[in-house]
Amino acid sequence: MIPASLFAGAAVEGRVELPKSHAAPVQAKRYEIVTKAGVLSTQPPLAVIYLDGNFSRPAWLPMKEVAQKDLTFIPALLPIQVGTRVQFPNLDDTYHNIFSYSPTKRFDLGRYRPEERPIPSVIFDNPGLVTLRCDIHEHMRGLILVLNTPYFVMTDTAGRFRLDKLPPGHYTLKAWIDSRTTRQKPVELRDGQTLHVDLP
Amino acid sequence: MKARAKTRNEEVRSFRTRLFTAIMVIVATLTALGFYLAQRRITADAERNLQERFKTELSSMHKLEELRHATLADRCNALAAKPRIHAAIEDDAIDLLYPSAQDELRDLMEGDEPPPEQAARFLHARFYRFLDSTGVVIKPPNASDVGGLDAKTEAQLSLNTLPNTQQIGYVQSGGDIHEVIAVPIFSTDTGDLVSALVIGFKPFELEDKHTGMQSGIWVGGNLHLPALPPPARSSLNEKIKSAANDSESDQNYFRVEVDGAPQFLFYKRLNPASLFPPAYEICVHPIAPWIAQLHRLRWQIGGAGALLLLGGFVASHFVALRMSAPLKKMALDSEENRAERERAEAALASTAEELERSTRYSADASHQLKSPVTVLRIGLESLLEREGFKPEIYEQLSGLLHQTHRLTGVIDDLLLLSRMDAGHLQIASTPVNLSQLVEEWLDDLGALPDSPDVKIEKEFPGGLLVAGEKRYTSLIVQNLLENARKYNRADGRIRVSARGNRSNVMLTVGNTGLTIPRGENIFERFHHSSTPSAASGHGIGLNLARELARLHGGDLRLVLSENDWTEFEVRFSAANGVNAVA
Repeated sequence: MIPASLFAGAAVEGRVELPKSHAAPVQAKRYEIVTKAGVLSTQPPLAVIYLDGNFSRPAWLPMKEVAQKDLTFIPALLPIQVGTRVQFPNLDDTYHNIFSYSPTKRFDLGRYRPEERPIPSVIFDNPGLVTLRCDIHEHMRGLILVLNTPYFVMTDTAGRFRLDKLPPGHYTLKAWIDSRTTRQKPVELRDGQTLHVDLP
Repeated sequence: MKARAKTRNEEVRSFRTRLFTAIMVIVATLTALGFYLAQRRITADAERNLQERFKTELSSMHKLEELRHATLADRCNALAAKPRIHAAIEDDAIDLLYPSAQDELRDLMEGDEPPPEQAARFLHARFYRFLDSTGVVIKPPNASDVGGLDAKTEAQLSLNTLPNTQQIGYVQSGGDIHEVIAVPIFSTDTGDLVSALVIGFKPFELEDKHTGMQSGIWVGGNLHLPALPPPARSSLNEKIKSAANDSESDQNYFRVEVDGAPQFLFYKRLNPASLFPPAYEICVHPIAPWIAQLHRLRWQIGGAGALLLLGGFVASHFVALRMSAPLKKMALDSEENRAERERAEAALASTAEELERSTRYSADASHQLKSPVTVLRIGLESLLEREGFKPEIYEQLSGLLHQTHRLTGVIDDLLLLSRMDAGHLQIASTPVNLSQLVEEWLDDLGALPDSPDVKIEKEFPGGLLVAGEKRYTSLIVQNLLENARKYNRADGRIRVSARGNRSNVMLTVGNTGLTIPRGENIFERFHHSSTPSAASGHGIGLNLARELARLHGGDLRLVLSENDWTEFEVRFSAANGVNAVA
């Protein structure tokens, strides 16, 4: 199959209605994972927009990274394609013990210091949500959204998004809002066209 | 007389018997009462002591339990804060819950169960289980790591809902019993109640080897008290069940029989307001030693009571004797009194006869006397009518005639008195105008020849009516007025006053002149004044007046006699309703 990037491809843009944020505005680019009644979401609210479909997995995928800095995960929410390896560099001056009990991927990296080499990493080979925790710092939470698709993007805090270089065809456009909520809409993508889709 | 004395003796004896019986009854009652009170007291004391001991034991046990609970609560809070436990519960990794907890709770499960006396110092758990969000036990992947339990026991750990506070429960497992503590686990993120940890322990035991007290736990309709044989256990079980159901209080006690031996059974709810089924601490305390003590006391009190009774017997015998002695004396005295009374009655009868005889005699004498006096008076009058005597003869004849008049008056009075004494004087009571009567007598008084010059003061309304026979009423008035004149001095005065009300009319006659010495009974018959006086009387006038006044329902009395003034007052009955005014 020819990589989609070679085509001009189709594009989708639009807006996702995000939950109201009651928290005080935080600095740009910084957000965290919060749990409310067992539901994990970002704060301020952000969504991950992705084109659901049966896309083949590429032979090679770039390595992604979730760092631990100032006793938080950065980024707090990382969408990746299935099969991606994610490394977890420790940028703090203390031990971290990153682990996950999530059914999507269970792993336990054990304790390691910043100078640990190679940087501990995990391949996420099943789609789903992975909750990252640190056994030492109980408040630390991170999320990795493992997706079956290479076409995904995070909205800005206003809920706006744009996905381009998409293959034409019939798909379902989905918006992951939090660990319980995913909105979706069927889309008909045509080459060279930009489709406007709002996910209220 | 002898028969009567015999009866008296019998009466005295019967009184003595009754007295003796009464004293004995009182002594016996007091003894019984003392016995009863002492027994009740000792029973109450013993019960209270045993109850106190039970409470003390329980409270020391509860202190140990509280320590254990506090430690466990800390452990559970720490556990709940563990990210792995959280992850296991929140991230759908229940299978990893027990392995994650295993490290944290390893020390609880390690080693052997400490002996009971050291139970307080070691926190040794028999097993632990987690409850899911609905309160149901989460099955451990490998039960041997977390303390094996059979399915039936494990099922008892589940609750209807997750508890948000520590809960204490007791579960049965075969012949054994576990104390379980359910500690809530809250999410550190959200504060939500996400799970509970249930940890099982060997229950603390109440120990009191000195008194043979045995303790156990009653839960779910079963009594766990291994020291008791099964039949005794099942019979106690029923009693506890009904007591626990009936009683409103969480603790109480009652008496039971275990294998024929009396015991006190104390019970107290171990887990009030728990989500686990109610469990009671049961404590059976033998009361045989206490009953033996009671028996001893009974003997002691019984002995003392017997002594007391014996003493009472002797004492009451003497008391009865002593108390009946005056009665006996009284009986004798009354015997004497009776004889005396008989004598007195005989004397009285003879006196009455004599009196009657003398009255009759006096009447006869009066009649016998009257005739010669009349003869004498008529003789003297005919002599006075003769002419030719010397003037001093006339004077003497006139004086003699006057004496015959006086004699006639005395005889009349005596006759009247004797009739009164004999009770023969009948009064025909009619309204008598006292005012008029007094006026008439005062007129006569002024006309009397030998009257001293006295001034008469009158002070009474006209028409005062009294009830009486005019003759005798007149006699009373005459008597008083004549006395007032007779005993007056020269230039003296007489004051007559009368007043009436509805029932009485009072006539007061006062006069100047010599007073009557105090203490002199002037109303006595044939009384003669101790003070010499010019005036003389025969000494029956006042007596007669008073007797007549009394016969008319009134009275005559001396009001005063001092400072040249003597005053008599006579009371008449008023003629019905006539003297309303006055």
